Amino acid sequence: MTKWGAMMIAIVSAVVLQSSVLPIYIASPFKPDLLLVFMVFLALRVPFMAGASLSWVLGLVKDIFSGIYLGLNALSFLLIFMVIKHISDRLYTGSAPLFVIAVSIATLSCASIDMLLLVMFTESPGIAYSMSAGLVPHLLVNAFIASLVPLIPGFDRLLETP
Amino acid sequence: MNFFKKNTLFILMAVGILAALIFYSLNIPHKGNANVIERWVITVIAPIMKPFSQFSVFGEDVWDNYLDLVNVRRENLHLREDVKALNSRVIAAEEVCQANRRLTQLLDVKNTIKAPTLTATVIGEDLSPWYGTLVIDRGSSSGIVEGMAVEAAEGVVGQVVKVARTSSRVLLLTDHSSGIAATIQRSRARGVVKGKGDGLCQLEFTTREEDVKVGDMVVSSGIGGVFLKGLPIGEVTMVKRGEYGIFQTVTILPSVNISHLEDVLVVLRNSND
Repeated sequence: MTKWGAMMIAIVSAVVLQSSVLPIYIASPFKPDLLLVFMVFLALRVPFMAGASLSWVLGLVKDIFSGIYLGLNALSFLLIFMVIKHISDRLYTGSAPLFVIAVSIATLSCASIDMLLLVMFTESPGIAYSMSAGLVPHLLVNAFIASLVPLIPGFDRLLETP
Repeated sequence: MNFFKKNTLFILMAVGILAALIFYSLNIPHKGNANVIERWVITVIAPIMKPFSQFSVFGEDVWDNYLDLVNVRRENLHLREDVKALNSRVIAAEEVCQANRRLTQLLDVKNTIKAPTLTATVIGEDLSPWYGTLVIDRGSSSGIVEGMAVEAAEGVVGQVVKVARTSSRVLLLTDHSSGIAATIQRSRARGVVKGKGDGLCQLEFTTREEDVKVGDMVVSSGIGGVFLKGLPIGEVTMVKRGEYGIFQTVTILPSVNISHLEDVLVVLRNSND
């Protein structure tokens, strides 16, 4: 199986897990954002062009199954990818704690960018309050998921030679 | 004398039988009491019987519980399999009962709606914790289009927002982007039910003068054409009237338990019909 095939399977599995399996067992504020975790992983492992496109696609997939504004998460994922990619060369990307920190910061950034875009461009009164109220459990769950990712064999390998 | 010698045996037998018969007949009236012989024999034998009896019980225990267990393990495994199979049948039967109850309730609602409806099953939830959407297993191939109302047995669920061929996304009434024209059933006060995000809704644009009380039922007003008139939306849980401002703040708890929603009805009629 190619790396891209494996990536496709990972994305589909993340969507199915997050949309149809986990909601049965966990309360809504504790839903993890597996696609965001995957995007951060890509930002630390994949070359810029391929990673940027894939991040935008990941955001788009999230938009297709979340909320009603297509392109909102695609934009925030792309922005976060670019920032992480920009500084990742200066970071020790094989470090598990650093990955957890990167995912936590990405979660905060994603929520902030989404909130800003929603408040600026849409009619969603009260969304800022809801997002702020649910941010801490969401952040903790994402950090927990991120702490499990380094246990996957081959975590510290580059997916593709730059 | 010869006669006695010849027949000694028979005579002794006859005497013996006679004696036994006499003994028996003498004891018939005292059948309830032990006589001297009985008492003596019992007294002598009983202490000997006791340890033998205890030993026999012990022997029976050893035989039953330790030696005669040839097929018990096999039988135990077989019974465990049976218990597992029966348990899964009980769970399946309970699931069928629950589904039957849900679908019966849904059918009752379906019969009250004066428009064609379609039953759909919820197959997914929103990926994000701060939006309220669901994915149902019916799409454009079943005749669903954007804007159709979605209901459950307890009341309004939301409306269809994005339709694919075999699935659709439903915007829940609790989402911030949702808005449903509504009426307080008791006082007929009007407003727009908007999602608050945390599983609650808010009745907006209801002026301070309108009569709204905690416990009032909120139903759809039919304005806008998406939802039929009189469908239950929820119950008023809080009313706040500030000193200033035109409107009052009314919080509503939806009738439908969104987190346990499994089957819904899509009303096959959009606002243009």
